[in-house]
Amino acid sequence: MSAASALTSRRQHAAVDRRRSFVQRGQRLALRAFGCLLLGFVLLVALFPPYFMTITAFHPPSLSFSRTPTLFSLDLTLRAFVDLFEKYPFASWMANTAVVSVCSTILSVTVATLAAYSLSRLRYPGRNALSSAVFFVYLFPSTLLFIPIFIVLNNLHLLNQLPALVAVYLTFSVPFGVWLLKAYFLSIPRELEDAAQVDGATRWQSLVLIVLPLATPGVAVACIYSFTLAWNEYLYAFTLLSDQEKFTLATGLTKLIFGDVFLWGMIMAGGVLMSAPLLILYFLAQRYIVAGLSAGAVKG
Amino acid sequence: MFAYLLLLPAGALILVLVGVPFLNALWLSFHKKLLGAVDAPWIGLANYAALLGDAAFWQAFRNTVVFTTGSIGSKLILGLVIALVLNEALPFRGLWRSIVMLPYAMPTLVSVLVWKWMYNDVAGVLNYLVSGAHLSDHQILWLGDPNIAMPAVIAVNVWRGFPFFVITILAGLQTVPQELYDAAKVDGAGVWQRFRQVTWPSILPVVAVTTLFSAILTFNDFSIIWILTQCGPGNATNVLATLTYKIAIPGLELGKGVAVSVLMLPILVLLIVLLNRFISRREEFA
Repeated sequence: MSAASALTSRRQHAAVDRRRSFVQRGQRLALRAFGCLLLGFVLLVALFPPYFMTITAFHPPSLSFSRTPTLFSLDLTLRAFVDLFEKYPFASWMANTAVVSVCSTILSVTVATLAAYSLSRLRYPGRNALSSAVFFVYLFPSTLLFIPIFIVLNNLHLLNQLPALVAVYLTFSVPFGVWLLKAYFLSIPRELEDAAQVDGATRWQSLVLIVLPLATPGVAVACIYSFTLAWNEYLYAFTLLSDQEKFTLATGLTKLIFGDVFLWGMIMAGGVLMSAPLLILYFLAQRYIVAGLSAGAVKG
Repeated sequence: MFAYLLLLPAGALILVLVGVPFLNALWLSFHKKLLGAVDAPWIGLANYAALLGDAAFWQAFRNTVVFTTGSIGSKLILGLVIALVLNEALPFRGLWRSIVMLPYAMPTLVSVLVWKWMYNDVAGVLNYLVSGAHLSDHQILWLGDPNIAMPAVIAVNVWRGFPFFVITILAGLQTVPQELYDAAKVDGAGVWQRFRQVTWPSILPVVAVTTLFSAILTFNDFSIIWILTQCGPGNATNVLATLTYKIAIPGLELGKGVAVSVLMLPILVLLIVLLNRFISRREEFA
């Protein structure tokens, strides 16, 4: 090949490369623009329902009966909130939900921490089978369990009892907690414990003094999730509670829509009050929650 | 010894609260147990035979498949695309991510109630927006039209569940080494090729786990459909989870209701086994 033809071929290559990178940059820009537009749209769709809930809750009740919905108005009032507390035992519903969620969280996280430590740190026959079993139970559907549980509690005259509901919530929060914490304990280096044991610490001491302090973020995530699951639970509460005074927020609010009149203002006010604690919790602990979600460990 | 002692409380609770009711459920499904009746005569497979010969069961089965695949497919595509966008260097990325998380952080039940209010055919805001944009000149019965109710219900499930896909896929994307992209660029790979050859294989395990997880939960979902449509109109949105409830509690046939959810078990077990395998494989690499 002569020097001249080599030069033209190199030039041609350069031209092709340049054209290709030009096309690619065009593609990239178009994709980016499309992506940003889509993101904008999705953000609007994500924000609209919570926004609409909030303004409905703060509007005078007359507005939610009108044929044209109000998207924005400065005519704000606490009427719906006041009605909710005066016409319904809303305070009891909130208290019931809080008590049930806190109790089931404390019980399940305590029990789950012990079991998770055993499954992640100690070696014994059947350990892997037990881990798989926990995972299975964790994803076990409440649609299968609610009927036998309903029958048993009915026979024992324990329907409408909040402690019974706490016990029922342990059916999902214990296996869930074990599974989440097991993954977390596995990420703590074993050497730390070995060192402690060389220095004469017992297994129990190394759990309490070494592992638990390091596992605090994991335990916090387990608590948040366990609390959220109980706070949101609907099917069990719906089938096991029929006494209005014993309702949780989930069953109380849905009762309002199955009535004869739709009380949208009040229902949305209740929605605001039911969401607020969780939203605050989520935004305070967002970093941990994202980490927990990314561990793929979440039932939601 | 210490190991078993630590397991004891959790094990005992699970055995009593899950194991016993589960065996009880299997037992019930072979008996004619009516709500309020004292005795429950053994009827063998009659509950199952009745269900398998019932058109309502098969309709609920088809609806469950449509609801689950429709929801999962949409959540996956939407979650993947939004995760890819959020993985780019955008201004205020953290803020956008927090907003995307919002539907996930709200209690499911509250979201469902808000959507029910927005879908309202007389005073609902969606009909107002649709007619304002001149997209339709008549009221749309979002939850009352048998052809629209299912997509409407799926939309709520997608709205609530897509952030889970965004967050997990985003976390997966952040573990892809930048060198792989650089190498692909040097080789002249275009945007699509880079996605096909580098991004997709790297995030596939995360995508599989997330999808299976979400599939299991969607397959069992009761509250979204029950609160939005109560299985209506007709039985257009009746799924297996709501059929169980309808047969057992309002229908009073506890044994037959349990049989519905026992029939759901094979699919569920298959999904759980697959998921367990994916997760333990990932743990081995980690």
